[in-house]
Amino acid sequence: MPTSYYLVLSFVLFLIGTGGVLLRRNTLIVLMGIELQLNGGNLAMLAFARALGDEKGHVFAFLIIALAAAEAAVGLAILVGLFRGRQTVNLDEATLMKR
Amino acid sequence: MNAAVVNSASGGAQFVFWLLAALTIFFAGFTMTRRNPVTAVMSLVATFFCLAGLYATLEAHFLAILQVLVYAGAIMVLFIFVVMILNREEVSPVSLRAVKLVGLAAGVYLLAKFVHVADVGVPAAGVVPETYGTVGSIGDLLFRDFLYPFEAISLLLLVAIVGGVVVSRSHQKEVDADRAAAARKEVEERQLHDYPLHDELAAGDDDAHGAAAHGGGHH
Repeated sequence: MPTSYYLVLSFVLFLIGTGGVLLRRNTLIVLMGIELQLNGGNLAMLAFARALGDEKGHVFAFLIIALAAAEAAVGLAILVGLFRGRQTVNLDEATLMKR
Repeated sequence: MNAAVVNSASGGAQFVFWLLAALTIFFAGFTMTRRNPVTAVMSLVATFFCLAGLYATLEAHFLAILQVLVYAGAIMVLFIFVVMILNREEVSPVSLRAVKLVGLAAGVYLLAKFVHVADVGVPAAGVVPETYGTVGSIGDLLFRDFLYPFEAISLLLLVAIVGGVVVSRSHQKEVDADRAAAARKEVEERQLHDYPLHDELAAGDDDAHGAAAHGGGHH
């Protein structure tokens, strides 16, 4: 398949993730949106790696997966902390730093 | 796979790509629109499996395996645990604001631009060596040219572990101590406040008794 197909698919994936991050209120779903964004980036990375015949893109994708794991761990820990403190997972109610 | 096959894409490869692409987008959209977090997590797992398939069509075999192991395995288990801890359905799942809509519109515009660029400037996929995307060649690259980033990412994971424990650790003991102190203070204040009140009440009682006795006597 042409590389551009993969790139468009990766961008659509990123866009879906961005839509979730921007529009959803549930912090859990927002974190899932971030995962989708990272995966969209990974797909573009691998598509370019395939197009250029260069495996460095694979290394970057590998590092991004590790980064996503760290992000998920910390993000979910923050979510649990938020829930403990405020009994909510609603992002619009987490406004402690606004006041 | 030779260049002709990659460039014109055989019917089978094309079918697999379109199937996986459609499933990926469908499940991703499904994830982002579900109210129930459990459904969202499950369809996110499906998204990751489809993505692993797409990685395989890009001959990134090692990354495809890694996608299933790390994403569909480890990260999703973490998500499911958190869903179990705080299983709440949203009352109003979407927060719409003008700024966010503007952001989405900008994203769609960017998509249009991106499609344009992707059509023009991306080189066609060429021939790749036999070992492309295998564990051996990626590992070779990772431990030779990218050793420091690799070590840095391991450090990042360590920090994330410690940070995760610190942030989500239960503060119940401290909260209990605070609450106990507050309760003690309140009791002390009430006692200070109560003694005069108690005397007043007693005096009022005496008056009432006196009045009653008086009334009784009158009767």
